[in-house]
Amino acid sequence: MNGKKLALLFSLLIIGFHLFGCATIKTSAKPSYEVTSKGVMIYNEEFEFNLPPPGWRLLRQEGESEFAFGFLKTDPGPFPSQSMFVYDEEPFGCSMGFEDREKEFFKRFLWNAMLNLQILEKKKVQVLGGEGSEVVVEGKDPIKKEKAKAKVIFGKRAERVVAFYITQWRPIDGTYDDSAFITFDQFVNSFRFLKKSFYETLNDKIFSIFPFSLSLTLHSIGR
Amino acid sequence: MEGHQRNLYLYERFNARVLGVSRDDVTTLKYWAKGLELTFPLLSNITAFLGVYFDTQPEGQPIFQRRTVIIDKRGMIQYVKDGSPDYKEILLFLKKLSQEGGK
Repeated sequence: MNGKKLALLFSLLIIGFHLFGCATIKTSAKPSYEVTSKGVMIYNEEFEFNLPPPGWRLLRQEGESEFAFGFLKTDPGPFPSQSMFVYDEEPFGCSMGFEDREKEFFKRFLWNAMLNLQILEKKKVQVLGGEGSEVVVEGKDPIKKEKAKAKVIFGKRAERVVAFYITQWRPIDGTYDDSAFITFDQFVNSFRFLKKSFYETLNDKIFSIFPFSLSLTLHSIGR
Repeated sequence: MEGHQRNLYLYERFNARVLGVSRDDVTTLKYWAKGLELTFPLLSNITAFLGVYFDTQPEGQPIFQRRTVIIDKRGMIQYVKDGSPDYKEILLFLKKLSQEGGK
């Protein structure tokens, strides 16, 4: 009886059994990339952007990491002097609007660093061919004597919010390096998509993985 | 779970709903859902009978193992996957079921 009621309410029901704080990491093949003679990088046949200057090391996604890919540079000076910028296809939060997404994002951005982030600047920008939002924050840790400055740019890929962000770490009495932020801006301004996203094609593509998925399912049930 | 929340509007298009099940108590789940701003239901199943029913309860352990299950409108289990949810695979599977006639 209850089953019938459920059936009336829902065509499909997704049930997720979960435990908190113990996410398993799924490994996958590293995405490919190539660099053209003009210094343009084509990443995973999906993204195109100007390559940052020498010294920036490519960070490639190997599993369910927090971002798609990015670049890291170790800066002169004592620990933790380094800069990192990334493109994030699934930034923290769920809202489709920039205002709400910003609030959700900064609840968790750098959360494990225990920094109390202060907003230094916030403005609307043009990014990815449309309207976006830019937020500059800084946080200090007087106990560890460290500080970080970050610029986050939210934009839209079709209907979903994506983000670019750079984080620069310094000892608490250190000086930030503006050239890294200029490199980041050049990366963002040159960034473009070479094909539709998974979500854009969801409504019009036929995929062939289903028979495999279904057989796995039946096998699992039969255990 | 945040991934499910992010994809709720897509699940709606396939006439699907999400339900989370955990062995944590109701108060914990309320705070957790509030923190992540989850809007879909979370079930607190302290006695773990759902985990036993869906074979996600390791013997002698106080937590469920991660598993995603898709049940169609007839009550038939159509998809089971252990570990962190593969959100894109879930969407593709829902699309496939939807194309097969709204099972």
